[in-house]
Amino acid sequence: MTTQLPPGMHIETVDEKIMTLNVGPQHPGSGHMRLIIKVDGDYIVSCDPDPGYVHRGEEKMAEYRNYIQNIPHLERPVIHDSSNILYPYCLGVEELLGIEVPERAKYIRVIAAELNRCIYILYWLAIYGIFLGHSTMFMWPAGDRELFIDLLEAMSGARVTHAYLVPGGVRNDLPSNFEERCLRQVAYFEKRLKEYEDVFYQNPLLKARTEGSGILSRTDAIRLGTTGSVLRASGVDFDVRKKEPYDVYENLDFQTIVMKEGDSYARSRIPYLEMFESCRIIKDALKKMPKSGSVRTKLKPNPKGGNDEVYRRVESGRGAIGYYIVSNNRPEPYRVKISVGSFRNLICMPYLLKGEKLGNMPAVYWGLNYWPVEADR
Amino acid sequence: MSNVIGIIRALNSGVKHLAVKRFTLRYPEQKLKFVGDGFQFNPETGVGIAGLRGRHILFHENCTGCQLCSVACEGIAEAISMVKIAETWKHNKKAIMPQIDYGKCVFCGLCVDACPFYALYMTNDYELSSFTKSALIYTPAQLAIKPKISQDVEIKISDRGASHG
Repeated sequence: MTTQLPPGMHIETVDEKIMTLNVGPQHPGSGHMRLIIKVDGDYIVSCDPDPGYVHRGEEKMAEYRNYIQNIPHLERPVIHDSSNILYPYCLGVEELLGIEVPERAKYIRVIAAELNRCIYILYWLAIYGIFLGHSTMFMWPAGDRELFIDLLEAMSGARVTHAYLVPGGVRNDLPSNFEERCLRQVAYFEKRLKEYEDVFYQNPLLKARTEGSGILSRTDAIRLGTTGSVLRASGVDFDVRKKEPYDVYENLDFQTIVMKEGDSYARSRIPYLEMFESCRIIKDALKKMPKSGSVRTKLKPNPKGGNDEVYRRVESGRGAIGYYIVSNNRPEPYRVKISVGSFRNLICMPYLLKGEKLGNMPAVYWGLNYWPVEADR
Repeated sequence: MSNVIGIIRALNSGVKHLAVKRFTLRYPEQKLKFVGDGFQFNPETGVGIAGLRGRHILFHENCTGCQLCSVACEGIAEAISMVKIAETWKHNKKAIMPQIDYGKCVFCGLCVDACPFYALYMTNDYELSSFTKSALIYTPAQLAIKPKISQDVEIKISDRGASHG
């Protein structure tokens, strides 16, 4: 009998040396996914990632709800980066429906997206720390994340699921003392961020575990179609914010962080350095923002898109997120397809883990910035 | 040698924090202060007013029973259902008003955006836990009550670090 069984289900040929391990599907640290790992002693022979445990059908759901009702559920795949996953949707729908966004709203959206990027990276860093057994690095980012959550809560009214960006602008204007409060907390955070350097990034224990492990070369990074920090850690200068600037990013002053090493250490360091850039963007945007004006274009009650299709992408905490939206003269989109960074970085996992020590698996796995819920959508 | 220096630097930066104030918010005793009285919406300009998206507040004198909040909630949480009310209002001929099931509500606030009559806002009340599922269903009469809240702690930033209160 030669029935084709899904990976991991087949009966294994007994080998004296090779053993199969299932990492997951109960939370290997980030969400529900499984890594089928074959080990020879302490070394990984092969790795077969098995995603799909948290598929929610977000794309199908989007076909039955109108353009506004789609907002709360489309942010669910990555609730701690909710502004960034909604951003391309809003840009796309604006293009479909022909909506003009007020200038002030564009700046507010950039601020919300950058605050949210920091929230995501700090969350990621906290789990990266605890993955490697560094409990201080779990406590510090988890605590400092509260500063940004507090700011976005004042802005949008919710701690995590903001539903703040809408086609046509943002839901509400900034509260009265926001600018001063934001500058104060961001300045404190930058000071705090420098302390991470000593305790974590220059820590010889972290360097010993991550430097030179899981090396992804520049050509491989391009060939495998990776994105975000994984791509930039391999020496490719690509950031959607720089290459295809959306909203007001072209007016703002920031740099793309690129490292050449392509190892786990570079992949873990790039998001950290990006937080400094995010703080710069926030401060710059607060300075350049028009001080008054409308923040939301009034839409018709049940806006309809024409017979058209659109693809827009933005840079999120995990790389480029793209939305492909098709409309056919109805209040609901005909098709919504989300291309997420997590899923595109997942493909590296078998390549990077081969020949690696089993103990280094978490460092490589979480360094890829992989978020299972987002990848499964 | 550089490894030893690295470890000493890491330990040193940790030791410095022995003198720093704890960032932890002592939640049931301390509660964070929020901006404003909750999320509100101005249907004339089509822009909301910043505030926490907590439990709703329903103004019976403004609600016309138009069901727009319930329609907005369809496909999101389906938490709002329109129920008959005992009182009679001139502007509410059908005598129906929204009843919200907080077991389902996701606090997105799109119902507030949908209300054209300034009848449905949100408040700073976020402590809605109960022992039964049915107690989470708030009737129009319960929604009309203004919540009593005492939230006063803010993040304080000083040279000794950030702390709550």
